[in-house]
Amino acid sequence: MKDLIFQRKKYFIRIGGFLFILFLLVAIFANFIAPFQLKDRFDPFLPLGLKHLLGTNDIGNDLFTEFIYGSRITLLVGLLTGVFSVSIGVLIGLFAGYHGGFIDELLMGITDVILMIPRIPLIIVLSAFLRPSVGLMILVMSILWWTSTARVIRSRTMQIRSMGFVESARCLGFSGWHILFYEILPNIVMIIIPEFLITVASAMISEASLSFLGLGDPSLKSWGMMIHHAFQRGGFLNGMWWWYIPPGMSITLFVLSMVFLSFAFEETEIGMGEEVAIAPFNR
Amino acid sequence: MVFPAKKILRYIFALFFIITLNFFLPRAMPGDPVINLLGEDFIAGKEAVEKIREELGLNRPILVQYANYWKNLFQFDLGYSYHFRARVSSLIISRLKWTFILVAPSLILGTIIGALAGSLAGWKRKSKGNTFSFFFFLFIYCSPPFFISLLFLYFFGFRLGLFPLKGFYTTGNWIDILKHLFLPVLIMTLFSASRNYMVMRGSVLQEKEKLYVWYARAKGHLEDSILFQHVFKNASLPVITLFALDFGFLFAGALFIEIVFSLNGMGTLIYQSILSRDYPVLQGTFLIISFMVIIANYLTDWIYNWIDPRVRANR
Repeated sequence: MKDLIFQRKKYFIRIGGFLFILFLLVAIFANFIAPFQLKDRFDPFLPLGLKHLLGTNDIGNDLFTEFIYGSRITLLVGLLTGVFSVSIGVLIGLFAGYHGGFIDELLMGITDVILMIPRIPLIIVLSAFLRPSVGLMILVMSILWWTSTARVIRSRTMQIRSMGFVESARCLGFSGWHILFYEILPNIVMIIIPEFLITVASAMISEASLSFLGLGDPSLKSWGMMIHHAFQRGGFLNGMWWWYIPPGMSITLFVLSMVFLSFAFEETEIGMGEEVAIAPFNR
Repeated sequence: MVFPAKKILRYIFALFFIITLNFFLPRAMPGDPVINLLGEDFIAGKEAVEKIREELGLNRPILVQYANYWKNLFQFDLGYSYHFRARVSSLIISRLKWTFILVAPSLILGTIIGALAGSLAGWKRKSKGNTFSFFFFLFIYCSPPFFISLLFLYFFGFRLGLFPLKGFYTTGNWIDILKHLFLPVLIMTLFSASRNYMVMRGSVLQEKEKLYVWYARAKGHLEDSILFQHVFKNASLPVITLFALDFGFLFAGALFIEIVFSLNGMGTLIYQSILSRDYPVLQGTFLIISFMVIIANYLTDWIYNWIDPRVRANR
């Protein structure tokens, strides 16, 4: 039975892994792949062609170059937000689940309160007041995105807490810190990773959405920014689909690759657990 | 039925937190609080600015300001927008109904379609139709809403010319309104359905291994009747949770769809306020959306409590 499930999952893992590595390589080696520099200017509104694979935009920038370099910003925002918010979520979940009692009540109360704040509207208000920047976006998203991770980690920690090896560690006189980070943490890595993947995906969608509203970093061109420009500067109304479909499609494919990879960590059949499915997307 | 006090406390605290945040934001952010409170469209001489400062009470102690802020909220006074030349509260009310016309049918349709298709997909995972529906909804689920809107608008509106590209006329007749609303509602429904589909599918996958299912099968019940008479009811609990969360999600998601389709709702209001840096409107919309999300969460807890006896017993 287990082998059968693995057989079916294999394809998801392969496709997801392939896409993820592909995007990662493109982002890392962007300056070797891109044919031109971001600042280079040519004739505006050129159609698809051999010299300019995706044509040029309204001020004559090569769109293929923008597309390649855009992967860096989008991936950076997604991955950094993932690292930060999952770290916060794991810490809070561990403490709440291990200590229980008042600490648990307090931490889960905070989690519930943050979970109720509509994220996208709050970020819109904040970015309108402050000058939009990538750093701000990562910071705010990390502060708001950890809640689902904390809940999942907490419930698993509560299960592990009462297991024999934790009890014996406690009897041997190890400190709470030691037990948390050397006994419990290694046992929940398998649920931290899918949480991380889903958080990255959700952060990428949100970054793109905010950029589309014109609240992205104006000095950096992410995929969301490209779509924003296509929509704002006549690319959409002129039917220049090559301006916004490649970046939009790439966002979808990257998010898909994250979700496919997260299937690998599901214990049973392919499908999403309640928390994973409900938690993160575009709120 | 008594509702757990602990949970009510959390709701009250969330509301309190959001209102307090909303109060401090314009006062703590860089720039002149007068501009932060009135929006960038407010241009006046130095003397007039001082006079307004006096009127807004910005010279008074912060606690007095805070008390006044609460007083204004209870009178539903969210400030004045210099960009739209209207009170923020009446502005939001006039736009809210158009968003509601978009969100309400999508939410209901999406929940029904998603729950039905999802439960079928979880029940007979191997059939070809269900594999197709899984990938279809997964694709929608993983896409940013504005991108799908752009794609649909390009193909159905631009290429095929089936639907109008822009505009939403409040004076038009019903057919006109329906024509404008068809694509946005379709996209919204797909998004709502995709989330419900994923949740329902996972839920049925878990539920179908339980003993009562095998017992019903052993008794000779038909597969379909087991699914819809027994499993569906038990598996649909997470969907109810999703309904509340979706309420918030759809208002945020509706925002992008409204912008792409130039509909005249809350989303476009937010977009216009972003472009003109109209802070009072942005804050007002944030407050109203938060308020609705919290109420939806509260109602869901109530319904959950009422439907599922286990929740009541665990209290």
